[in-house]
Amino acid sequence: MTKSFPDRLLSLFSWICAMFLISSVSIILGFLILKGYKAVNLELIFSDVRPLDALLLRQRVFGGLLPAMTGTVFLIVLSMALAVPLGLASGIFLSEYASSKIKWIFSLTFDILSGIPSIVVGLFGFSITVFLHHYFNERIFPCLLISALSLSFLVLPYIIRTTQISLESLPLSLRLTAPALGATKRQNIFFVLLPSSLSGIISGIVLAMGRCAEDTAVIMLTGAVATAGIPKSIFSGFEALPFYIYYMAAEYSHPSELRKAYGAALLLLIICSALFIFSYWIKNTLKTKHFTGHNSL
Amino acid sequence: MKKCKRITKLVVLLMMVLLSAGFAFAGDLDVFKGEKQGLKISGGTAHIPVMEEAAKRIMSFNPDIQITIAGGGSGAGIKQVGEGLVNIGNSGRKATDEEIAKYGLVTHMWAIDGVSAVVSPKNKVKSLTKEQLQNIYSGKITQWKDLGGEDRAINMYTRDETSGTREVFWEKGLNKGDISGKANVVASNGAMKSAVANDPYAVGYMSVGYLDESVAPVTLEGVIPSIATVKSGEYKVSRGLYSNTKGEATGIVKKFIDYLSSAEGKKIVVEKGFIPAE
Amino acid sequence: MDFQDRFFRSLFLGASALSALVTVAVLCFMVLLCLPVLKLDFIRHVLTAPWSPGQGQFGILPMMAGTICIAFLSLVISFPISLGCSFFIEILKPKGKGNLLKKLVQFMTAIPTVIYGFVGVFLLVPFIREIFAYGSGMCILSASLMLGLLISPTLILFFSQSFSRVPQSYLNAVDALGGTTWQKLYHVILPHAWKGMLTGIVLAFGRAMGDTLIALMISGNAVVMPSSLLDSARTLTAHIALIFAADFDSMEFKILFISGIVLYMMTSLGILFTRGLDRKGPA
Repeated sequence: MTKSFPDRLLSLFSWICAMFLISSVSIILGFLILKGYKAVNLELIFSDVRPLDALLLRQRVFGGLLPAMTGTVFLIVLSMALAVPLGLASGIFLSEYASSKIKWIFSLTFDILSGIPSIVVGLFGFSITVFLHHYFNERIFPCLLISALSLSFLVLPYIIRTTQISLESLPLSLRLTAPALGATKRQNIFFVLLPSSLSGIISGIVLAMGRCAEDTAVIMLTGAVATAGIPKSIFSGFEALPFYIYYMAAEYSHPSELRKAYGAALLLLIICSALFIFSYWIKNTLKTKHFTGHNSL
Repeated sequence: MKKCKRITKLVVLLMMVLLSAGFAFAGDLDVFKGEKQGLKISGGTAHIPVMEEAAKRIMSFNPDIQITIAGGGSGAGIKQVGEGLVNIGNSGRKATDEEIAKYGLVTHMWAIDGVSAVVSPKNKVKSLTKEQLQNIYSGKITQWKDLGGEDRAINMYTRDETSGTREVFWEKGLNKGDISGKANVVASNGAMKSAVANDPYAVGYMSVGYLDESVAPVTLEGVIPSIATVKSGEYKVSRGLYSNTKGEATGIVKKFIDYLSSAEGKKIVVEKGFIPAE
Repeated sequence: MDFQDRFFRSLFLGASALSALVTVAVLCFMVLLCLPVLKLDFIRHVLTAPWSPGQGQFGILPMMAGTICIAFLSLVISFPISLGCSFFIEILKPKGKGNLLKKLVQFMTAIPTVIYGFVGVFLLVPFIREIFAYGSGMCILSASLMLGLLISPTLILFFSQSFSRVPQSYLNAVDALGGTTWQKLYHVILPHAWKGMLTGIVLAFGRAMGDTLIALMISGNAVVMPSSLLDSARTLTAHIALIFAADFDSMEFKILFISGIVLYMMTSLGILFTRGLDRKGPA
């Protein structure tokens, strides 16, 4: 079959666009890998301190990425601890309880929340802090907890949305079996629906973790600082990987510091890619299991 | 066994102290023994190298102390310490009487610094008059060609309004002349240095303490900005580096500020390219 | 419903209400904090004047213009490429490669924005400076190029989703009539998919407006009305990041919140608009 001229043009255009996108991404990643791979080693993380001493907090790490990495890990854990329970519960409500009108209103507010620029969320966290500091307790400062709280606002809509969608996409047969056998709604949710939609929910949570790891705008307003060391409490300032990259891109005073910034950027990219691949893997492996289960019903 | 551990710990501690303090007197750090409090510092970005080095030494000496350092510029430093959000707010200009009265600030000057106009080392133009500098920043001179340089447009870099470096440069370097809105804005002295170092057609201004081979200082009215000319008073665009506290400093805050003026602190100040205040 | 069921229902309802409250609280808090200055005259001043705090001018007009310019240009850059890529994924589907491209696009959503900014500073900015032999390279064009890349996954995923929702029977009908791919696209797919595509465009525009790091790092942050693609400009988001200081009473502090409110309003309007599209659309 010979192709008409517009068809050929269309196909050429699509190929060019695809190639353009692929090469742009490759250039960015390639540039980073090329410049950064030499810097990624234990010294980048621990500087001149023995890794074991650093991890056991026997010796402080200066000039290594360990404080920034621990800061990022703390941020992820804390904000997930705040966002996941709330997000799960809201997602369940939307999918299982809400009438269509209430659902419409709630999901509109969550959509708006997900559209708010992260710097505005950061500004919100910062202003709450200053407000509390001013009117309640002089000892409230921008800190790890505030940053985690603000980040949790940022990822909340993601978690709600994935929970809701995972629950709603369950097949009707699965949804009706337990109630037909006399289970209450609560039992149905906790013992049938949630376990069956776990793959979708968890992969959504992992993606949200990636968002916490990479966001810079929120934390730069709510407590991320240039130097802090490994955070000792959730009420202190902290270092974080993305903030370090942003800071070093402008502030490096020596080529060796710039090299470290490249290393840090590559490291963050690796962490985010790993989370992404992990989420993808969960979604696929656990999903197939669920479907076979369904087929045998 | 236990004793053995304790001895190793002691040796490690001793080594750490020796290593970190170098050949300076370890005695200046002694006051930090037993302190457990945290210390929050923010503000002036010219101060950061000195702050970081001091913090590193103090935290190595006594790992119980946690010092956090943030930038933000002199304005942010003064405001944040005034609001009580940080313990020490640094500024590269003296706090105004109004600010001092409003927040009850106490200022401590521990170093003298200058503000130098800088260009890329590749730039042929390395000497300007004040008038030329004013005309560049107000947007009247826009081409390097007009100053004897290459046939390229001048890329201006400036700092935001909260910067003490900008304040001093504007007052003493530009005689309060306009700074055009067309100038690129960077957020710190460090960012200014890397921006000018990377842009062959740039002109910017920054702390004399930050000068190194990656940027070229601009000779102003025949005087080359350097620590020596600032010290001798020949280079007029100079200033103090201040650490401000809300009320009289006490406890660890006072110890930190005293440390900056101790023998070891002065050594750090010199090492980082500034002149210790007497 | 037994007691336990009712308990859980109210628990879940409470959680949803709390989450929804966050959305409202963000806006209310910002409005509350700049309420003292929210007078008509002042709002007019802020929305029309230049930014020069030293001279008592606190306008954010240059920043609003910068935001719109950069976001719009990034969309202009990203739109054709995203369109081509979604044709590639959903219509051309060259053996297996379509899916591969889709996976790459999904992966792009996981690339941190600070990395786009970082590579922008050290690769794109010097490149733009040399190639145009003008300015510092930190300009609207650089920021838009990087932002275009940042928002392309949003566009591509929405476009391909809308394409794939066109009923297969319609496409088969065109094939049966001997129609070309071009005819299929023009007469069947685009008329069916435009609503979904528009939603994607609006959301991508919001994403471009709301991003901080790329603009902050590579657009130069000058506070003038942008007049050329190679001029430095400042976005609202970068403005917030640059001037946030903690003086509770200062005018700058209040301007922060006005900038925040403007951003909030613009993105929310976008969401409302897509909602409107959705409701009228065929479910």
